[in-house]
Amino acid sequence: MGSRALLMLTNFNFKATVSSFGSASNPFFLIKNNLRIRNFSTKTRSSLQPPDLPGLAETARISLAPNEVEEFAPKIGQVIDWFGQLQAVDLDNVEPAIRADTEGDNLREDVPQTFENKEALIASVPSYEEPYIKVPKVLNKE
Amino acid sequence: MASTLFRTIQIHPFFLYPTALFSRRNGVLYCTMKSSQTQTATQEKQQPPKVKVPQHALKKTVDKITRDYEAIIGIETHVQLSTLTKAFCSCPYNYGSQPNTNICPICMGLPGALPVLNSKVIEFAVKLGLALNCKLSLNSKFDRKQYFYPDLPKGYQISQFDIPIATGGYVDLDLPLEFGGGHRKFGITRVHMEEDAGKLLHSGNGDYSQVDLNRAGVPLLEIVSEPDMRTGIEAAEYAAELQRVVRYLGISNGNMQEGSLRCDVNVSIRPVGQSEFGTKVEIKNLNSFSSINRAIDFEISRQALLHSQGQSDQIVQETRLWEEGAQKTVTMRKKEGLSDYRYFPEPDLPEVILTQEYVDSISNSLPELPEAKRRRYEKMGLSMQDVLFLANDMNVAEYFDETLSSGADIKLAANWIMGDIAAYMKNEKLSINDIKLTPQELAELIASIKSGTISGKIGKEILSELLAKGGTVKGLIEEKDLIQIADPVEIGKMIDKVISENPKQLEQYRSGKTKLQGFFAGQVMKLSKGKANPGLLNKILLEKLNGQS
Repeated sequence: MGSRALLMLTNFNFKATVSSFGSASNPFFLIKNNLRIRNFSTKTRSSLQPPDLPGLAETARISLAPNEVEEFAPKIGQVIDWFGQLQAVDLDNVEPAIRADTEGDNLREDVPQTFENKEALIASVPSYEEPYIKVPKVLNKE
Repeated sequence: MASTLFRTIQIHPFFLYPTALFSRRNGVLYCTMKSSQTQTATQEKQQPPKVKVPQHALKKTVDKITRDYEAIIGIETHVQLSTLTKAFCSCPYNYGSQPNTNICPICMGLPGALPVLNSKVIEFAVKLGLALNCKLSLNSKFDRKQYFYPDLPKGYQISQFDIPIATGGYVDLDLPLEFGGGHRKFGITRVHMEEDAGKLLHSGNGDYSQVDLNRAGVPLLEIVSEPDMRTGIEAAEYAAELQRVVRYLGISNGNMQEGSLRCDVNVSIRPVGQSEFGTKVEIKNLNSFSSINRAIDFEISRQALLHSQGQSDQIVQETRLWEEGAQKTVTMRKKEGLSDYRYFPEPDLPEVILTQEYVDSISNSLPELPEAKRRRYEKMGLSMQDVLFLANDMNVAEYFDETLSSGADIKLAANWIMGDIAAYMKNEKLSINDIKLTPQELAELIASIKSGTISGKIGKEILSELLAKGGTVKGLIEEKDLIQIADPVEIGKMIDKVISENPKQLEQYRSGKTKLQGFFAGQVMKLSKGKANPGLLNKILLEKLNGQS
């Protein structure tokens, strides 16, 4: 399970769009497809908190072996530091935006439409006991 | 006498903890009581050793403890909206459908599916925000509330976290007269849009559960109140007012039993005068307004008792369930720290933007809300009892208003609707929209009685027919020849006939049996087929019986 997480990290496409922050002095740079974490600039300050990896794994319901925790913690820390470059931006004259995009509503009329291939939906459920989806008994939400 | 009742308290199912206190304190007194009984056993009737304490006596002592404490109550309400489709997909939603039939890739959270917001959800949210006197956020957003649970297909709930669509409102209400009456104003912290989860059923045996996703994705509005309520009845009435408002607005059927109105209550107490809040306890599983009332009163007593016994540290922040059968709250689970929902803005949904024109147009389309109706009825001169009854159901209020606009007298219309018509509706289990009597005909009936065309008694008789079969008042009067006889000469003739046919009773009356006037009146009524004007009848009858004419 942990190895799958590592795979996710290495295949990430980090692409930073050139933002409209006028006063940015540090340009964002594009990172090529295969993320080479070793190419990180050592100039970035890592004043951000190191991640609590066991806690993160617990909330994400991903199990990590102790050696994986040791291996991943600095790597995830570096990803966080990469985002941490944003802290260098001077936001004194910038109005906080609610969301990153500028386009507005994408709304739908309140008109019912039955999905046609419900059988396929049911068939894709791994454990189905008509007419319910069978799941393990979980009593607590946490 | 009351004190002896206290000494012999049987465990009363209503308040569990307070009785434990009493039996301990009064153990000695109990023995004394018993010995005196055996002494007088032969002389007096055997008294049952254990007397069942009347509810009001117990409540008085519990009140004594709770009077030292102030309860702080807040309520979180979820209203299921009556839109035709779900919040983020076009699946229809019908309560009671076969499980897993109202589903699609979006509400099942299948990979690649994207949510698209139903415009009606925004409309309903704005309506409710305005009705609750809130400030609307012209710009708001959706956020992901992330946690894992079998009834949550996506692993997150689309909700609104830090920028809800409405904030800072209030609700006005009047407490029912049987609980003391009084006007209250409770604050509303926020109203926000979110989606419902599916239904999770735990099988009795076995290690598995069952999920029905019909309800997943149904739009909800969450209403969070300020902690302004102080008693169970205030909380129950707040919930009832929310039900009234959502029904008036037509945004939900507000049915607690069906689950379209769900309330979770937060209760804490603090000694009177203290400014810090006590530990907050959440209560779930409240399925009716009376459960809200009783659960809160129970919880206040439970906490007050622990306080008074010096065990206030036993009150922990937790979620308790209300058990309707046992009439008490029980621990469900202790809160282990605050949940980390890792909120972040929902990337798949754009900002929710409202224009002032949009808000204004909705504002202008709102119906007269319960509070406005109550104040208007009050100004008309109706009593508080009438006001609360008539304004409770929107359809009844509309019926009443229509009857008035057909020219009926206010008080008379109120009396007919609250009396005979309400009784009929209750008997036949009908709503006011189902009865055959139209508001216009009710106005006509009231006018006919008022003008003396028909007597009150006849009026009541034809009411039953009008309710069941409809028709017009004028038509029935003509058909059955019901016009009241108010001509004194004609009445006089009928009285003369009855008197002449009953000489014996006349003699009895004249020798002192004045009660026989009723007998004569009844006979004249029979003769006139109920049409004689009662007032005139009795006046003339009295004159004739006393030999004055």
